[in-house]
Amino acid sequence: MAKAIANPIRESKGDKIFLGFTYAYLCVALVVVLYPLIYILSASISNPTAVNTGEMWLFPKEITFAGYELVFNNPAIWNGYLNTIIYTVLGTALNLAVTLPAAYALSRSDFVGRGWFMGFILLTMFFNGGLVPTYLVVKNLGLVNTMGALILPVAASVWNIVVARTFFQSTIPKELQEAAHIDGCTNLRLFWKIVLPLSAPIIAVMALFYGVGHWNSYFSSLIYLNSESKYPLQMVLRQILVLQEMSAETTGAAMNADTAALMSSKAETASLIKYGVIVVSTLPIIAVYPFLQRYFVQGVMIGSVKG
Amino acid sequence: MNVRSKAWKLLMIGGLGASLLAGCGSKEEAASPDAKNAEVKKEGFPIVEAPLKMTMMAPDTGVQNWEDMVVLKEMEKLTNISFEYKNAPKDSFETKKNLVFASEDYPDVFYAAGLTPSEQLKYGEQGVLLPLEDLIDEYAPNFKALMDEYPDVRKSITAPDGHIYSLPVIEFSQHWYRNPLWYNGSYLEALGIDKLPETTEELYTYLKRVKEEDPNGNGKADEIPISSVTTPAANIRDIRTWMLGAFGIYEETLFVDDNDVVRYSPIEEGYKEYLKYMNRLWTDDLLDHESFSQTAEQKQAKGESNQLGLFSAWHAYQLLGTEASDKDPMFLPVHAENVEKAAIAKNGGIKTGAFAITKTNPNPAASMRWADYLYSYEGSVLFNKGPEGTLWEYTNKEDHTKKAIPAPDGKDSEEIRSTLTPNYGIPAPTILTDEVNKGLTTEFDEWVNNETQTKLLDNGARVPFPALFLTVEEQSEINSLNSDLSTYVKQMEAKFITGAESVDGGWDAYVDTLKKMGAERVAEINQGAYDRWKAN
Repeated sequence: MAKAIANPIRESKGDKIFLGFTYAYLCVALVVVLYPLIYILSASISNPTAVNTGEMWLFPKEITFAGYELVFNNPAIWNGYLNTIIYTVLGTALNLAVTLPAAYALSRSDFVGRGWFMGFILLTMFFNGGLVPTYLVVKNLGLVNTMGALILPVAASVWNIVVARTFFQSTIPKELQEAAHIDGCTNLRLFWKIVLPLSAPIIAVMALFYGVGHWNSYFSSLIYLNSESKYPLQMVLRQILVLQEMSAETTGAAMNADTAALMSSKAETASLIKYGVIVVSTLPIIAVYPFLQRYFVQGVMIGSVKG
Repeated sequence: MNVRSKAWKLLMIGGLGASLLAGCGSKEEAASPDAKNAEVKKEGFPIVEAPLKMTMMAPDTGVQNWEDMVVLKEMEKLTNISFEYKNAPKDSFETKKNLVFASEDYPDVFYAAGLTPSEQLKYGEQGVLLPLEDLIDEYAPNFKALMDEYPDVRKSITAPDGHIYSLPVIEFSQHWYRNPLWYNGSYLEALGIDKLPETTEELYTYLKRVKEEDPNGNGKADEIPISSVTTPAANIRDIRTWMLGAFGIYEETLFVDDNDVVRYSPIEEGYKEYLKYMNRLWTDDLLDHESFSQTAEQKQAKGESNQLGLFSAWHAYQLLGTEASDKDPMFLPVHAENVEKAAIAKNGGIKTGAFAITKTNPNPAASMRWADYLYSYEGSVLFNKGPEGTLWEYTNKEDHTKKAIPAPDGKDSEEIRSTLTPNYGIPAPTILTDEVNKGLTTEFDEWVNNETQTKLLDNGARVPFPALFLTVEEQSEINSLNSDLSTYVKQMEAKFITGAESVDGGWDAYVDTLKKMGAERVAEINQGAYDRWKAN
């Protein structure tokens, strides 16, 4: 394979050794990355006892699909799924709507007060109010226990604004903007018709960054939401897994034999569906990733290397 | 310059807008603090004539939405008081509780909140939690009668400043301090043992035989004589209480001895003996070498593949994955040769901090009457067993004998119960007595009760240290001492047991270090609190 593409110049011995090491290293890296994926896939269709005793370490043992059955029959998981999709789609749309214009404006050298605004925005990277004040703000905005609490407070990420700004600065030449202005183009139209179409990579990257963030986030739902019907998927998963940890010792509750028995059977169910749920919840991200990956590499590189 | 001032204007307008918005949110709080207390009936139901709505904060196990719980709906019908539930998942309830206190976003009542004594004192003194003693006198006949009948209840829930800030969980029908240890019955049979070990040496012999004689009969030496798990909170806690007991120590940190002297366990001579014994089990490979690293599920898996000889569990069959049976006997607490009898810890049955009323509550009297119902026989049955006719019915209403109704569609009745009532897996304010369960116990339950009675209670089980209050200063001193002490104790315990440090060689230095870290001070502070409690 390498030979077919390789240039006609013969490789020296040193090169060959180097190449050998590279391949060996890449193989190790591959195993390290691949093993957990395979393990989780196998564990999700294995008997949980085999998983816990360590008998199952690579390929599935005593194959059972009971875990998936439980996942697919659990209405809370589907509701969580739906909520997560809502949070991710709406949240990411809002993120883009806020980040891209902000980043573009900050990338323009003729933007008066640019340094001042940038300073202010950067400041929030280093100092923030902390949990309680943030909670109070959200509460006073009337957002507690609403879906907005998971979307609005995280509408803009400074880090992403900076990345996008650097992208705009390095890929959209000032001359382009001047030419457009001479032709009578307004700033809004310039952004909409010229800048955005040229910025597909950064849009994809931002969508991915923000989207994955929304998909995986659970802490804000933990803090701001009170009713289960609004919980995102990660929160539902957490609850399922936490039920497993619950035992007579840890509850401090008035206990009886029946409760203990149920908890113990819940623990089994939980260990059965744990891996299934992990697979189901990460699948969409894994599925989307290859399509965005092309932009991903390109976008981040362009943002970081000026050229 | 001109532009700059424009930017400032923009900012100020933005700020103004935000503060306007902020104004909107807080309206609801001030809705109904009018003195409606007058309308609360002192007896009979409903508690209030006009419907009353309050907010309740409670941990949630995620089984059912609280709005849909039959028991809470029944309660609403009965009392005319409804609640808006502010639930937080059980595992993160602490975080949310702290947030609520810090942000002054109080619910009207806390339910099953597990407020610690220091939280009760701190927020009680700040006026966030209302003192309840006057309300109890006037509006809580059931709870009052209970306190008169059991003086320990009043003693344990009264803060050092003389106020009562919370109502407790009371369980007089549950005597276990920790889950019991159980013998694997099939092992006992295979080894031909008909008399359970009574001393540490006999126990050692049993464990040794489990190791060497292949009692599970699969031809492999895969038996693990005794296994345990370690949690972030404590090493091998599930077996430690029982092992310490053999050397005359009731509990792993603090206990009061028979002469009313408070002891700090890790510096006691008995603790050293315990470490030596455990080290011996470790070196001879009788104590599972994964005890300091495995998870509960891993232990469970070993139990299910019939590898364990002695283990901690609620019931033995749950860990072994078998049907309930009386074949696996409960561990009879053993004692060391130089100790006359084993120290056996018993559950005190009182846990404070289950129910509290905050200063935002529009009608504390009504809330108190609501909570009082939970401590009546009817209330306890409703909240702990569900409404009559769903999972149980009376066979004799006079003497409270009940019988179970099988759950529909072959479902687990406990599973159904967990969707009916909030009192599942959370420290809910209630009283549990044998009367509540009357007629609902199975033959197996009777057997377990009998094991508990003969092996633990009849052998002198007692409460190691009563539930009591420390003052805020005492508590903060203890907290700062304990943060060092417990880490060090935990580390050294593991080192001693695994043999990384020899018990004989390292013990004196270890005790010295603990003393320097304030071990004696911890005992001293608690001694003071205990004396106060005793004199109360």
